Amino acid sequence: MSILVEICENLQKGKAKIVKELVTQAVEQGINPEQILNEGLLAGMNIVGEKFKNNEIYVPEVLVAARAMNMGVQIIKPLLAAEGVKATGKVCIGTVQGDLHDIGKNLVKMMMEGKGLEVVDLGTDVSPETFVQTAIEQNCQVICCSALLTTTMSVMEEVVKKAEEAGIRDKVKIMIGGAPVSEEYCKKIGADVYTVDAASAADAAVEFCK
Amino acid sequence: MTTRERCMNILHYKDTDRIPAVHFGYWRELLDEWARQGHITPEMAKAAVRDNSPEQRELDKIIGWDCNWYNTVGTNNGLSPRFKREVLETFPDGTQRVLTSNGVIERIKPGVVSIPSEDDYLLKDREAFETLFKPKMQYSPERVNTEALKKFNETRATDIPIGIHVGSVMGHIRDITTVMGMSYLIYDEDEELFSEIVDTYAEMQYKCVEAALATGAQFDFGHYWEDICYKSGPLLSPEIFDELCRKHYKKRNDLLHKHGIDIISLDCDGVTEKLIPTWLETGVNVLFPIEIGTWGDQFEPARKKYGKEILGVGGMDKTAFRKDKQAVDVEIERIKRLFDLGGFIPCPDHRLMPGSKFELVQYYAEEIKNIRI
Repeated sequence: MSILVEICENLQKGKAKIVKELVTQAVEQGINPEQILNEGLLAGMNIVGEKFKNNEIYVPEVLVAARAMNMGVQIIKPLLAAEGVKATGKVCIGTVQGDLHDIGKNLVKMMMEGKGLEVVDLGTDVSPETFVQTAIEQNCQVICCSALLTTTMSVMEEVVKKAEEAGIRDKVKIMIGGAPVSEEYCKKIGADVYTVDAASAADAAVEFCK
Repeated sequence: MTTRERCMNILHYKDTDRIPAVHFGYWRELLDEWARQGHITPEMAKAAVRDNSPEQRELDKIIGWDCNWYNTVGTNNGLSPRFKREVLETFPDGTQRVLTSNGVIERIKPGVVSIPSEDDYLLKDREAFETLFKPKMQYSPERVNTEALKKFNETRATDIPIGIHVGSVMGHIRDITTVMGMSYLIYDEDEELFSEIVDTYAEMQYKCVEAALATGAQFDFGHYWEDICYKSGPLLSPEIFDELCRKHYKKRNDLLHKHGIDIISLDCDGVTEKLIPTWLETGVNVLFPIEIGTWGDQFEPARKKYGKEILGVGGMDKTAFRKDKQAVDVEIERIKRLFDLGGFIPCPDHRLMPGSKFELVQYYAEEIKNIRI
């Protein structure tokens, strides 16, 4: 079995330490870091994403796979930068103001990174102004808002309004997600897309960044 | 007929004179809201948040509810002693990092309530388990108030159903390890340790239930709390859940059956469908609260799939109380059809949340009692 296949398979099982060791070995063997990323790490994460979308696996499997991917990426990140490998797009993501929950947000972030996007993580309790300002300053193509609470999801509407006021609404797509959020709510507040899970969110962001 | 007789008859497919108006308590913020609006006093708002407190039963009368389903007698079946709550860090905006009684570090911001936001956790490895947690997961007679339970049959309210709270097989563990910690332990770091944690905790809880029932106290139903599902399904794979939990549900439920308790309800938020086989096959037979409003969980598919063996309490979309009379009427029509299936007691699908209109809750409670059977 090739080492890239091993990376891919261990990533799917969430074996973080093994993935880290295998990526290190692959680098030592002289395998191109971009190849390690695409054929090992991202290939594994894509399979995880598909299985998650199809309800074949659940949140824990995604969390551990994403952690394994991050550990692998940390090894090759400096090498990728040195080779001038660029991200396929840029997204800023955060949990909206008043809400401190971040498991869902982190899952989406990791899935997006797994698709080769650069993600600016604004953390939790993020104001509408910060979302918009970051998108402007960092040239993000997508703003991604997460909320767990019914009491905080209304902040998403504020993000849409602030983006309009700042004159960037036609340049930036706004994605929303989280437990209480729905397609109906997305339409109501004028956001661009709602996705039911983290993998679908990553797919949608990739489309927006093309 | 008393509310107790109505509820128990419905869950045994026997006749009843009317649908009982059953609820599942209130969020504190709603009671504060109702106090500000003048519907209840601030004192009642403070005290009525506790399930089946005298103040909540008083509020039930004002609204028109017959009872709160979450009326259970429990034991001290958590970590004991609990960790001492400690503020670890305070940020300029008032947000604090706090070590909780479960050994989890949470972020708490003034004015932000509801589901905890977990930052970190102590139970990461075997050393932490052996030194910090295992001693707190042991059974001791002090965990069960046997003196009070011996008098329970004489002192209990006889007009409403009262259950014995038998604990949690996975939910409490998730509270202690967090979703992240649970995931890392099971899938990557130490599955054997995780299994041992579940077994240790479950054995302590079993002994608590055993000691409580040995007092002769008689209950109408047994009740678990789990909360191990979310919007898209379970928080861990159903296969692993079954592997870890089946034997513990079976043992505990067999004990309940031995004491004549054949109604066993389980409180689990989220979409529960994938875990129902483990529960039903081991003796849990009442789904509660069937969160249709927030998560889209439903009772009908379970009834179609598992037949009359599966019972339900819940399934009423509580978000209707934030809308208008028409929305409540639509809900009443829908849950009436569920009631007609038998073995189902309508109940708001979780605690009533801020924004629920007092007059609409009153209207629902009265209307549900007036439905002709």
